[in-house]
Amino acid sequence: MKYFAGIDVGSTAIKVAVVNEAGEISGVHVTPSGSLFHKNSTEALSTLLSKLNLKREDVRYLIATGYGRKLFKEADDSISEITANAIGAFEAGKAFGGVRTIINIGGQDSKAIQIDNTGNVVNFAMNDKCAAGTGRFLDVAARNLDLDLEELGDYHFQGGEAPLNINSTCTVFAESEIIGLLAKGHGKPEIIAGIHYSIASRTVRLAKRVGIEDRVYFDGGPALNKGLVAAIQDELGRELVIPDHPQTTTAFGAAMLARSEFMAEQSLENN
Amino acid sequence: MEYETSRVIPTQSVPYSRSRQAGESQDMLDHIVDDFQDNPESMKYFYDLFRQVYCHGEEVKHDGMLVGTTCIQAPEELIYAFGATPMRLCNGSYHYDQKGADFMPAKSCSLVKATLGMLNSDNVIPKVGKPDLIVNPTTCDQKKKSSVMMEGMGYSVYDLEFPNVKESEASRVYWQRSVRQFAARLRELTGNKLTRKNLQAAMAKTGRAQAAFRKLHSFRIKSPSLILGKDAFLVTNAYFFDDIDRWTKAVEKLNEELAQRDRSGFKAVQSKAPRVLFTGSPPIFPNLKLPLLIEEAGGVVVADETCSANRMLYDMTAVDEWMVNDMVDSLADKYLKPCTCPVFTRNDDRRRRLLDLVSSFNADGVVYQSFAGCQVYEMEYRSVAEEFNKAGIPMLFVETDYSVDDKGQLSTRIEAFLESLKNRKKQRA
Repeated sequence: MKYFAGIDVGSTAIKVAVVNEAGEISGVHVTPSGSLFHKNSTEALSTLLSKLNLKREDVRYLIATGYGRKLFKEADDSISEITANAIGAFEAGKAFGGVRTIINIGGQDSKAIQIDNTGNVVNFAMNDKCAAGTGRFLDVAARNLDLDLEELGDYHFQGGEAPLNINSTCTVFAESEIIGLLAKGHGKPEIIAGIHYSIASRTVRLAKRVGIEDRVYFDGGPALNKGLVAAIQDELGRELVIPDHPQTTTAFGAAMLARSEFMAEQSLENN
Repeated sequence: MEYETSRVIPTQSVPYSRSRQAGESQDMLDHIVDDFQDNPESMKYFYDLFRQVYCHGEEVKHDGMLVGTTCIQAPEELIYAFGATPMRLCNGSYHYDQKGADFMPAKSCSLVKATLGMLNSDNVIPKVGKPDLIVNPTTCDQKKKSSVMMEGMGYSVYDLEFPNVKESEASRVYWQRSVRQFAARLRELTGNKLTRKNLQAAMAKTGRAQAAFRKLHSFRIKSPSLILGKDAFLVTNAYFFDDIDRWTKAVEKLNEELAQRDRSGFKAVQSKAPRVLFTGSPPIFPNLKLPLLIEEAGGVVVADETCSANRMLYDMTAVDEWMVNDMVDSLADKYLKPCTCPVFTRNDDRRRRLLDLVSSFNADGVVYQSFAGCQVYEMEYRSVAEEFNKAGIPMLFVETDYSVDDKGQLSTRIEAFLESLKNRKKQRA
């Protein structure tokens, strides 16, 4: 059996996905990026391979993506995370009846991508040089509130009806705003809901810039946060498609691309 | 003018900051030269020129009075005809952009801020020394408002009145009168008279330069292009300050080499490299960040619609009657009618030209650069995007400035854009 892998070297986490010849996911793995990008990337790949009982030679084609894509020289090729995300969401979205709009929130950026009915990128938008509305924003907020990132989703639904307004879009200013709200005696749930709505409204604005069509697919680590998902759905006025592994969609896309590149090369050789 | 400005605006020269801008220029040149293989031999003239002028502060010799221009709407033929030398002051240095922030609101255009920052330093590049006059056409608001600040720094500034509407006959007459008034100011400055012979010679001088540019331009129609956009931008940037005859000769030599390359089947880029049309705020050395990112990611800039290259050199003067007054009017027309600057009320011509460039240069997509704070380009993006959308031509809009902090983000966006262009091409094939 031949296998193909994609590795998404992100700013916060390294994500690896392996697919088989049929294009089915064999396994995924997520690990923090840390400061040793290269070492951690290599380890992430070998960890997943040993979990799947595979040898490095079983992986016939490996594509790197994400901010560290150029640093991971072991890969056969690299591709921008926007293209990889589009392929991953297009493939994974088939199970939901197909998707045309993708919202991705990553560790240091957020993106909206519009794809056509064959999975090609038609249009995309990215946040400008600023951490507002990204995963880092949630990270900072969780730390201010003495919570783990994973707890934010549950707190979101414990508040009353109205989430608080977080007016600052700047992560650093929002931090002081949160501290101010805590000092005034506001509860964590209403602050957290406010943070989620603040990110949601920014994200939806970004998505509207590229145009919202058909089903909307939401991926990236923050898609695991149910509170944020609910807030984006509210702002968007429609349901989101959340895949089983939102964090590894981009790595999966890179693996699927590795698979098709390998097959294209094979068919060239056979002719 | 002296009264208020000297209190509000810091007029003292910025301390010696040559090394900062020299370092920045050196970094950019290293990228332009060393990151690419097979640079044309004749580009060495331009690489050396920038190294000498921007990194080592060497002076470029000039004849007569030095007239600084802040915009391509200042008719340089007139300046030559009076025996003076024009020098375009528009600056591309991030260091001077930061220095210029003392004069302009924080959210204003990098180009205007950098030009003011440079003028306020002890280092007026490219030709070291103070211009005898600065002509500032009243085009965009930020440039208009910088006249007073330049005066506050001790420069002699002439506001060349420029209309807002291009199509009307009233504008045309107004502008022709404005150009004649400028001629009168130049006469006063130089003490020379405007003669038919001198103006004709000046037009021939710029005409030869333009012919050389058009020839260079034509080598980029080839698929794959015979020269990279980063080199083409450097060539047109040199036109800002180089001796015009020397510049023309250097471009002609480059053209010969490119013709030779063409005959020998040489390729400057891979045949599948996505072909990009560049439009919007002008790339000016050392800020060639965006064109360079496109080409480092495997694309090639085959044409542009910017005032630091194509718009500056493409359109030629059409004279009906070779009498001095008619010649001045024809010259005025050349600086108004073909102009596709977004300062005008309407931009039908710009949209037409962009579509024409896409088809004649066989571009796969368009990159639209707008400097943050360059409102006219930001505002015109919408109508340009609609036009391209209708025509099914992909476009990437990039808002950026002279700083390098967004390089990582931008390279991802550009790579994704180029990948989507490649995919489109594959699917069509």
